[in-house]
Amino acid sequence: MPDIIVCFKWVIDEAYIRTGSSGALDFRSVNYKLSDYDRNAIEAAVRLKEECGGTVTAVTVGTPGATKGLKDALSRGPDKACFVNDQSFDNLEPSQTAAILTDVIKGRLEYDLIICGEGSSDLYAQQVGPRLAEALGIPCVSFVQKLSIDGNRIIAERKVEEGINIMAAQLPALVTVVPDINNPRIPGVKDTLMASKKEVISVTADDLPATYEPALQTVSMTAASMERNCITFPADQAGIQAFVEALAKEGVLR
Amino acid sequence: MDFKFTEEQELLRQNMREFAEANVDPIAAEIDENSRHPAELFQKLAAGDWMGIPIPVEYGGAGADYLTHALVVEELSRSCSSTGFTVSIHVGIACMLVLLFGNEEQKKKFLTPMAKGEKLGAFVLTEPGAGTDVMAATTTAVLDGNDYVLNGVKTFTSNGPTGDNYFVFAWTDKEAGRKGMSCFVVPKGTPGMQAGEHFKKMGLRSSQTSEMLFKDCRVPKENLLGKEGAGLAMAMTGFDHGRIGIAAQSLGIIQAALDESIKWSKERVQFGKPISRQQAIAWMIADMAMDLDAGRFLAYRAAWMKDQGLTFSKEAAMAKLFAAEAAMKHTTKAVQIHGGYGYVKGAKVERLFRDAKITEIYEGTSEAQRMVISGNVLR
Repeated sequence: MPDIIVCFKWVIDEAYIRTGSSGALDFRSVNYKLSDYDRNAIEAAVRLKEECGGTVTAVTVGTPGATKGLKDALSRGPDKACFVNDQSFDNLEPSQTAAILTDVIKGRLEYDLIICGEGSSDLYAQQVGPRLAEALGIPCVSFVQKLSIDGNRIIAERKVEEGINIMAAQLPALVTVVPDINNPRIPGVKDTLMASKKEVISVTADDLPATYEPALQTVSMTAASMERNCITFPADQAGIQAFVEALAKEGVLR
Repeated sequence: MDFKFTEEQELLRQNMREFAEANVDPIAAEIDENSRHPAELFQKLAAGDWMGIPIPVEYGGAGADYLTHALVVEELSRSCSSTGFTVSIHVGIACMLVLLFGNEEQKKKFLTPMAKGEKLGAFVLTEPGAGTDVMAATTTAVLDGNDYVLNGVKTFTSNGPTGDNYFVFAWTDKEAGRKGMSCFVVPKGTPGMQAGEHFKKMGLRSSQTSEMLFKDCRVPKENLLGKEGAGLAMAMTGFDHGRIGIAAQSLGIIQAALDESIKWSKERVQFGKPISRQQAIAWMIADMAMDLDAGRFLAYRAAWMKDQGLTFSKEAAMAKLFAAEAAMKHTTKAVQIHGGYGYVKGAKVERLFRDAKITEIYEGTSEAQRMVISGNVLR
């Protein structure tokens, strides 16, 4: 019966980000949500538990105010949570998050399998999962769209460009999952109300053995803008021909 | 003053939004068109404990507060107000009547399966000749041995054709006036009770509405809810609760009208720019957003007062009246913003417009709400 850790991130809901005229991002009236792929990760962990038994512990690194995120995650089925929180844990970059998770997991949590989302909804750096596996010295399988446990190994289907890659890895292992893996459940009323009654292990910066310096420096952040050429083509033979030629000239068609 | 929801209330509103987008939006137009009761949807609602939110866990509910129930009815109604209303009347009136007035036995027998969403409640008060004038009702209940015998005709019964537990109001002592009416729980299949055909309505079409006929319908004495003669007061208390739900339903309609109007006005180009940048249209949208917030403050206050154990009859009437009239006003504007495209079947605003009207009529007309409010402030 596996002990599963699932990592999740409480992120800014991009639907609330406004763009100023200069392209600057306005975060003043944002709301937060569970990072999209992390919902799939939680669902995958909970389904494995429903099949094989064991436990699911949801782990997150964030600021102390992110209690709603904890409840949201716990309402989706994990048994307990580990809340690594500090006022300074805002805007962490992936190497810091991975290092913090490594120390927390090594020091406090039992596990056979760790599940992460492939990337976060905000930065989508796809770094935390692989870095964490590396630091823990366990195998990492990324882009997982199907996952099962077979004795003391996992069988994971990877969604890759050329097709599907089926891998086996000895436990303990880490997987990062893509949305194709499942359709996350929508918590019911009682699931949400019971979430705050579940155990939460709180870990603060003072409890950790190191300080975690960033390796990157964010210079600026602006909204993506799409330049449009606004060329129209008639819907006849000549127009279609011209359209194809234009796409080829732009390098869209090769 | 604290305008903040609890984290649970925020999460539940968000979860209901997701639930409605996944399960209600895809069928809302179809169940309206076909006047169909979506039994499969109500099974899903029951599975998620959405059918008995403010009912204590020991009676099959979720054990949350009334404000959460209102938020959920609002989000559900934003997708389909027929569905939102069915949940509202089931919880706000049927379940609440047993919770507030039922004995332990009745709570176990009738409330628990309803709060779990296994059985649907129906509120059977209105008669062909007794709408706002409830005292003009003629249905009677006569004690005969261990049974009450019900005779009469009821109409506009929501969940009439689809209900499981009917809360029927009848005179046990007509001479006693306001203290002469009683309430009975009549389970589906009781001989002598018959539901009529589902009415074809202007809006709210998937909510099932019919006449209810009672001919020598024998109901055991233990199905008398509350005290004999207390029925009218219980019905009014039921309305107080139900009206918060109708306010929430109306708010869901306004939110949907606003959603549609924002989306459309940004896409629709006339005179060389999106109509959202024409002042005439932008101001309609501003008014819509303002009344939506005003209605929310009224409705959430009423629900909050209910949760605090305060008297909220006037506040519920104000919330229901304001939100219903705002729903009618702004769905009219939403159709106007859409122009001809909003007048065509398939446009969501067309359905919203038809659905809005009933909120000014049922669970007390707008005129009845003004009677309640003026009765409170003039005394």
